[in-house]
Amino acid sequence: MQERTAIPDSKINSDLLRGLLGTPMWWWVAVIVLALIVGAGVASVAITFNMGLGLWEIHRPIMWGIMIVNFVFWIGISHAGVMISAILRLSYAEWRRPVTRAAEILTVFSLMIAMVHPLIHAGRPWRLAYWFLPYDFPRGIWPSIRSPAVWDPSAIFTYLTGSSLFVLIALIPDMAVARDRTTGWRHYLYSVASLGFRGTPRQWKLQTIAGILLSGLLLPVFVSVHSIVSWDFATMVSVGGWHATIFAPYFVIGAVLSGVSAVVTVMALMRWLFHWEDYIRPEHFDALGRLLIAIAMGWLFFFVLEFFVAIYTKEPAELALREMQLFQWPYNVLFTIFIFAALIIPVPIWVSRKMRRNITVMFITSILVNVGMWLERFIIIIPSLARKQDLTFVWSTYHPSIFEISIVAASFALVGLLLLLFSKVFPLMPLFEQKEGQRFAAQIRVGRRSIPGVVREE
Amino acid sequence: MQRPHLRRTSREHELSFAFPDTPAEAGKDILSRHLRLTSRFWKAFWVLLLLFGVGLLGLALRILGGFDDRAAWGYEAALFAYLLTTAQSAPLVSIAMRIVRNHWRRPLARLSEVFAVVGILNLLLFFPLLMTLPPQEGRKSMWFGWPGSPHIYDSLAIIFLVLCGLAILLFTSMPDMAVLREQASGRLKGIARRLSLGWVGSGREWKKLNLGLGYLGALYFILLIGVHALVSMDFAMSLVPGWIDSIFPAFHALSGLQSAVATIIFSMFLMRAIGGYREYFGLDQFWALSKLLLAFSLLWFYFWWSTFWVYWYGRAPSEVSVLKLIMFGPYAVPFFLSFGLNFVVPFGLMLWNVARRSIKWPTIAAASILVGTFFDRIRLYVSAFSVEDVTGHALESIPATHFPDLIDVLIYVGFFSGSILMYMVASKVVPIISMWEVKEWLRLRVVRTFLRTEVAVVAKPE
Repeated sequence: MQERTAIPDSKINSDLLRGLLGTPMWWWVAVIVLALIVGAGVASVAITFNMGLGLWEIHRPIMWGIMIVNFVFWIGISHAGVMISAILRLSYAEWRRPVTRAAEILTVFSLMIAMVHPLIHAGRPWRLAYWFLPYDFPRGIWPSIRSPAVWDPSAIFTYLTGSSLFVLIALIPDMAVARDRTTGWRHYLYSVASLGFRGTPRQWKLQTIAGILLSGLLLPVFVSVHSIVSWDFATMVSVGGWHATIFAPYFVIGAVLSGVSAVVTVMALMRWLFHWEDYIRPEHFDALGRLLIAIAMGWLFFFVLEFFVAIYTKEPAELALREMQLFQWPYNVLFTIFIFAALIIPVPIWVSRKMRRNITVMFITSILVNVGMWLERFIIIIPSLARKQDLTFVWSTYHPSIFEISIVAASFALVGLLLLLFSKVFPLMPLFEQKEGQRFAAQIRVGRRSIPGVVREE
Repeated sequence: MQRPHLRRTSREHELSFAFPDTPAEAGKDILSRHLRLTSRFWKAFWVLLLLFGVGLLGLALRILGGFDDRAAWGYEAALFAYLLTTAQSAPLVSIAMRIVRNHWRRPLARLSEVFAVVGILNLLLFFPLLMTLPPQEGRKSMWFGWPGSPHIYDSLAIIFLVLCGLAILLFTSMPDMAVLREQASGRLKGIARRLSLGWVGSGREWKKLNLGLGYLGALYFILLIGVHALVSMDFAMSLVPGWIDSIFPAFHALSGLQSAVATIIFSMFLMRAIGGYREYFGLDQFWALSKLLLAFSLLWFYFWWSTFWVYWYGRAPSEVSVLKLIMFGPYAVPFFLSFGLNFVVPFGLMLWNVARRSIKWPTIAAASILVGTFFDRIRLYVSAFSVEDVTGHALESIPATHFPDLIDVLIYVGFFSGSILMYMVASKVVPIISMWEVKEWLRLRVVRTFLRTEVAVVAKPE
């Protein structure tokens, strides 16, 4: 049952532009706290670049630490935008309207942050110049075109470009509204960003077609991004636990699970912080909850296949690795937290309609899922490296250093900070989508009842 | 201005229905078509029955030949997997669309659910195939030597799948059977009385029906995916040493989803062309399903590529042998046919909205997928059944291509005919268009003027 109320356009404008036109105290407090955490992370990066990667706790054979775990995690979060925005747009799901912008910008920011991680992990990012400018022709020191260092950034850049365009095109009508209500530098900025949008039928048509086209084009790109990241692992035959054919779809669906959960987190925060109770309603959390159940079940299927087929091989190395993940400290505890947080606790809660409509519950479970999914990446990467191969001369566990931890914490703070800064310049919820939703709303009489309905869009 | 009913137009347009406007008229129209029994039906019935008998004879001959020569059963395994992938997966289209509350599913819901009856026929193939499986000692098995495995557990899973499909058909038919109970005559009246299970249409019964269909649908979905996983592992992957492919069960299930959509599209076309229900399967249904066809064709490629890429890049000798066996060696022809017909053709066609929004092109894409899946199951199952030594870590030698013999041909002709026969008979007992769902649809959908155009407005009661 839809719970919408009739809201006039003027109220939609004033409500949704509230973030741009006013600055409450909580905004300043949040920005300062987040900026401090980001500052600590930046300092850790600077110290690392100065002193070298020896400061971190990565060592042979565990050469990929939580920086790569966090890279995979943020790539996963970036799947929120396309999953929510593109798929729901293509399928004309009516409940998408308040969700799309938050999902799209989460994609852009998380991709930007994900890209930074391998650079920091490289230790000497300025040497990236050699990648663009091969310098030693006689010795044949050219970057390998087959290297993940080429294909990973290519995929991520393509996705980032497409996602940014997606956000910009959806912003055009809202920029025109903001342009007409601001003065000074903001008026200039919105005039440029609105690209002369006047709301003519032709402009609306072009904007709609561009949105649909980009949705369709972004879908294969979003699948390719995490697939390519997964193949960084899966094509390595020598590392036990990684050489699995299911890795690509398994990573993608895991990413979608964490991405959609992150959207739930952001939506709950938006509702509470900006008082958008009329726009982000329990029915939206209900729909997202149902979507999350389906995604979680799909993820469970892939998880079971990945784990089961590994045991099915009866290869001693595989069995030892799975034993390590399940029974050896500290991986056993992390594995337990992961499976409870990502699946066993949230999914039964989401089955209840009452719980799905409880925003606090949805907020907590969405965070739980992402705690679990972060640990899932840790469980995939670290134990496999710890048991790299038979002839590894040192086996030990891995404890991240304070520098690594502060950089990871800074990545989370940076996403929050960027979202807050974005909310000061651009509306976090699309105005035109809300207005369109109001126009598409209808009541239909069936017998003695009046039932809410919608105009079918296609 | 609100119009209570939809307009009749001659154009193929999503706002237009050629069938009656009001729920009462629609019910009457479906009923009259359902009760019509032509001489063409009886001719087809007897021919198919005869061919089915030939198939049963073929199966009997195959069983008399014994179970030791596993390679001889390869084509039967492929046929069993094909029927599982197409007919037994087809009810999922209705189930999934009911879960996501799509209205366009309504005319095709029953068409999809009736395919559950083909599962009974597939059991005839399944039980002999179980006897051909080698003992688990010395080879990889997903059952790790559990007592009674895989025979008991595979059988239970498949029997439950068939029963669940039939239960869905029975449940969803109850309101229509109650109508038939009142309006039909002769033997059909008696059958309808029994199958309506005392349905009177109270509010409580409707609530129970919707709830029951939801639970049964979810159960069928889980069982179907589970059976795909079991069959793919027990009857293909575990018979080939070195074939360790964690995505294969998921690929098998996905292929089932793709083929299910293709089966429904092709059946809708047949129902339009020769079934006498042209007006009920319009552009709306073809257009919506063709989008799914595009998505599943892309996923088919993605899942296949995931295996191919990891194996090809990994270059492990055991995996290279598997690639040779199922893709580039003795079964290269069925593999490339499958690749072209399951991916290249449907993707190339369904990429274009003008093709998706038509009757002809989705039907051609669906036919392509149904043929492609046939070759896909042959390259997977006949090749796996051809491997003699199922122990060891890697495939030592690649077996030669195994071609079908006369008995295989008899069984194929018989079981395809039998499947069509069972479907035809079931569709004459249960109305092939769900009367109650179409009537509900007509109550929930109106056409209104919107600015200078007309649009469909859909009620969302849930």
